[in-house]
Amino acid sequence: MGVRRCIVLAWTGVSMDVDMTVEVGPLTLRSPVVTASGTFGSGREYADFVDLTRLGAVVTKGVSWDAWPGNPGPRIAETASGMLNSIGLQNPGVEAFIESDLAWLATQDVPVIVNVAGHTVAEYVAVAERLSAESSVAALELNISCPNVDEGGLAFGTTCKAAAEVTRAVRAATGLPLIVKLSPNVTDVSEIARAMEAEGADAVSLINTLLGMSIDTVTWRPRLARTVGGLSGPAIKPVALRMVWQVASRVGIPVIGMGGIMSAEDAVEFMLAGACAVAVGTANFVDPAATMKITDGLESYCRQRDIPRVADLTGAIVAQRTGER
Amino acid sequence: MTPDPQAARTSLERMRVVKNVQLTEGVGLVVFDAPRIARQVRPGQFIHLRIARDAAFILRRPFSVHRVRGDLIEIVYQVLGVGTRALSLAAPGEVMDAIGPLGTGWDVPDDVTHALLVAGGLGAAPLGMLAEELSAHGVAVSVALGAPTGERLVGRELFESVARRVVLCTDDGTVGRAGFVTAVVDALLVADRPDIVCACGPEAMARTVCEKASAAGVPCRVSLERLMACGVGACLSCVVSTRTGQKRACIDGPVFWADDVVWESVDASCWRGQG
Ligand SMILES: Cc1cc2nc3c(=O)[nH]c(=O)nc-3n(C[C@H](O)[C@H](O)[C@H](O)COP(=O)(O)OP(=O)(O)OC[C@H]3O[C@@H](n4cnc5c(N)ncnc54)[C@H](O)[C@@H]3O)c2cc1C
Ligand SMILES: Cc1cc2nc3c(=O)[nH]c(=O)nc-3n(C[C@H](O)[C@H](O)[C@H](O)COP(=O)(O)O)c2cc1C
Ligand code: FES
Repeated sequence: MGVRRCIVLAWTGVSMDVDMTVEVGPLTLRSPVVTASGTFGSGREYADFVDLTRLGAVVTKGVSWDAWPGNPGPRIAETASGMLNSIGLQNPGVEAFIESDLAWLATQDVPVIVNVAGHTVAEYVAVAERLSAESSVAALELNISCPNVDEGGLAFGTTCKAAAEVTRAVRAATGLPLIVKLSPNVTDVSEIARAMEAEGADAVSLINTLLGMSIDTVTWRPRLARTVGGLSGPAIKPVALRMVWQVASRVGIPVIGMGGIMSAEDAVEFMLAGACAVAVGTANFVDPAATMKITDGLESYCRQRDIPRVADLTGAIVAQRTGER
Repeated sequence: MTPDPQAARTSLERMRVVKNVQLTEGVGLVVFDAPRIARQVRPGQFIHLRIARDAAFILRRPFSVHRVRGDLIEIVYQVLGVGTRALSLAAPGEVMDAIGPLGTGWDVPDDVTHALLVAGGLGAAPLGMLAEELSAHGVAVSVALGAPTGERLVGRELFESVARRVVLCTDDGTVGRAGFVTAVVDALLVADRPDIVCACGPEAMARTVCEKASAAGVPCRVSLERLMACGVGACLSCVVSTRTGQKRACIDGPVFWADDVVWESVDASCWRGQG
């Protein structure tokens, strides 16, 4: 029936308006398509290619209290259908970020989600508090994949205890919507997600990059100066999708899905698996207008199938008759 | 020679391959019909080229614009890995897209009267357009061009047609002087009294040229290469350490003032230094 109605609409020249707004906890976004932290700069770098006002939000690169120099180079290595990076969260520190990047973003008509980084719980809290004083910040995304200096460099996000500790402290320090970005480098990501929910996170986003490495067979050296780095791009999509599905089916808070999204169809998959919104990362490097194409594609996907609201896709996966859900 | 404000806005251009030929073993020349980039590009700028779609490799590859002829842009490339191998197979008529023109150009100051261009291997690629433009503006151009062997002296004819003096150097002595191109720089600094040096090539070579220019008190511009993902300043994969902090080779470079570069930290991230 849906198909028939669609044909009639096309024939009469009336096209159905798809409602692209989505709700991510307390946030209402005009589109489910947001940028993935660290892949879009502050948005300014892509302003020639992208109409920022059509994005659900700009998610900025990770921001810490002091300036971080980042890692030595080479910082990237391309791998099959993906790339490794070890940028090392280079950033100018929260004050410089507020003065330049955030000041510019504040003049754009798009919600700003700031990705927060820290080496200690105290650093996360300080950054979160400082950002909470800025009216142009719509939400915080806590990057718990940072090395925990107090715990010998292991990422906060790899144990429930450390992840809960940092989320609890930041929750107490900010009234802004709080999204916790989960690391996939764990045994059971949904366990961490549930802990985040219990600590008062408004949403979770996943996945951050998967740890990987690559070796140059001419020099026999690792291709990244830091030996290991984070894998992103289409290579990780099936893993990311599985994790989003697992988390979405076990938590009550909204999920922002990402990992290898290159096309509108990829975005649809993440939404069907349970994501309320999707983030586009590595795809921006391949096509600087990727976010716009994915937005347009999502809209026409819904229009063609007579789906009035893009949010209707969220969690609409049809369970396998024989499979378990 | 001064930046064209029109070039400030970057965008994507779909470009048709007009010609793609092997110049010598492992080095190719590809010509694209790219009217917008051809109009906007300044010497030293590059394009970020998407070579293949639906392939196992997804990232773009940066290439300097070697020369412009009307609507056509020329790229000289060395076949190194998966991307440049795919590029070498591109047939005329094929369409690829590029972001560009990107980066700072050589941006040689207007009052320069004599320029010394020093190129090692494929480092000659971004210097071709510069040599042409400088000589068209009445600047006397000297070129020191080095390569492993005579056949790989990229841009030789171009330089010989516009430069006042071209000194050729090959590692194997097949053409010109035997030895590294850096060996002739001191003599040229004295003989031609350039008021600017522009260098591009393997990082060790470029650094030596910069040090020689600095010792002679001649300002020096150097084009540096880094692995690049986004090409537009967003990902921070391409940083270069400078006296004023970490800079992105893709938008704050690839051409830097040599005196600003902090060489100590410039290391293995340059492939030309490896090979
Ligand atoms: C601003 C700029 C301008 C350039 N201009 C030219 C040009 O005019 N002609 C030309 O032949 N090449 C140029 N290059 C280098 C060119 O981009 C690389 O040779 C190309 O990306 C290699 O791709 P590939 O897929 O063939 O090699 P890959 O399979 O990706 O890599 C092969 C080897 O080269 C290394 N490598 C690849 N790309 C780079 C890079 N960009 N910097 C450092 N190491 C790299 C890899 O680590 C690996 O060891 C330029 C680079 C930059 C940054
Ligand atoms: C170059 C680069 C830098 C990144 N920087 C950050 C960062 O600062 N903070 C963060 O939470 N995630 C960061 N990420 C992870 C991405 O936001 C995203 O989670 C991951 O790349 C998976 O999505 P993708 O496959 O679409 O890129 C970075 C990824 C890349 C490729
Ligand atoms: S290549 Fe992304 S910042 Fe330079």
